[in-house]
Amino acid sequence: MINLIVALLTFIGTICAYIIARIINQRYPSPFTVPILVSSIILIFFLLTFNINFETFMTGAQWIDKLLGPAVVALAYPLYIYRKVLHRYILPIGIGVIIGAIVGISSGVLLAKWIGIDNFLILSMASKSVTTPVAMELSEALGGVPTLTAVFVILAGIIGTVCSPYIFKWFSFNHYVVKGIAIGSASHAIGTSKAMENSQQEGVVSTVSMVLSALFVSVIVQGLTRLLML
Amino acid sequence: MKKFSQIIVHIAFLFFFYFLGTWISDLLNNVIPGSVIGMVLLFLALMSKVIKTEWIEEGAQFLIRHLSLFFIPVTVGIIEYLELFSGKGILLVGVIGISTILVLISSGGTSFYFIKGRYENND
Repeated sequence: MINLIVALLTFIGTICAYIIARIINQRYPSPFTVPILVSSIILIFFLLTFNINFETFMTGAQWIDKLLGPAVVALAYPLYIYRKVLHRYILPIGIGVIIGAIVGISSGVLLAKWIGIDNFLILSMASKSVTTPVAMELSEALGGVPTLTAVFVILAGIIGTVCSPYIFKWFSFNHYVVKGIAIGSASHAIGTSKAMENSQQEGVVSTVSMVLSALFVSVIVQGLTRLLML
Repeated sequence: MKKFSQIIVHIAFLFFFYFLGTWISDLLNNVIPGSVIGMVLLFLALMSKVIKTEWIEEGAQFLIRHLSLFFIPVTVGIIEYLELFSGKGILLVGVIGISTILVLISSGGTSFYFIKGRYENND
């Protein structure tokens, strides 16, 4: 009985933290106030303050992550809705996403290997450029730690979103299709929400690129990472 | 209330594709995650009009709008790995930063090359 109450409390607590984080993000929109970052910090702070261990927290919170699988499936919906954009820009989007995926995986793995990072961390980081639920599954299949992957993906999302205006300026990427492809390939959903702020069109291209990137990285990450780790 | 039950039914459809994808993924030795295969199957089903958007849209929009809620629990798990960021692990932040910037430049640069001169007439 006590267990059930604790589970209910952590379940409701997680949802409350999410709602608070969304309100904060709506009031102060910034890559540093994305709901996933703010709500995780609230919950971690809460767990540390009241000395609750992660296992106890998960008794209720685990009910929430059951929806990750169907949420990934749901990404087919925006891809279908924006199929005309995909069709019109299939060449730049397709090739941009493929190059971005290869560069993202190999630069991350090789750099980390070069400075002597532990293998399980490298494997957890290989798929950092794609949306979190997909990255976590890929990490697990590779032998990484999904929790670490989730954090690395959020870091890639925030860093890419913060740096993108400068990169676009220095390299004079001023076409909305180019910007959308770059931010969708590098910084998944966090970048996409920023792209949506810039313009609806840029956001749409970013969404399509993010979904295609998740698909393409899924296909190559295992083979490419194993090759690079040799 | 009607909207709520619609969301539930639509999510049930998405679960169906998820399980189908997982089943195929198992047959393929899990080289590609089941959820991603499910996504491709749903896209093909929508394109070929086997599935109507009205059967999934409320559920899909709901899940995508609140996507980050579903991975809060996993992210909070970092609490068990905090010591990683005290040692050499902190260098990983730099690696992730450099790699992410390289993705921005390479994917943007490649598409820039393909956009130039081809799509200039409108937009």
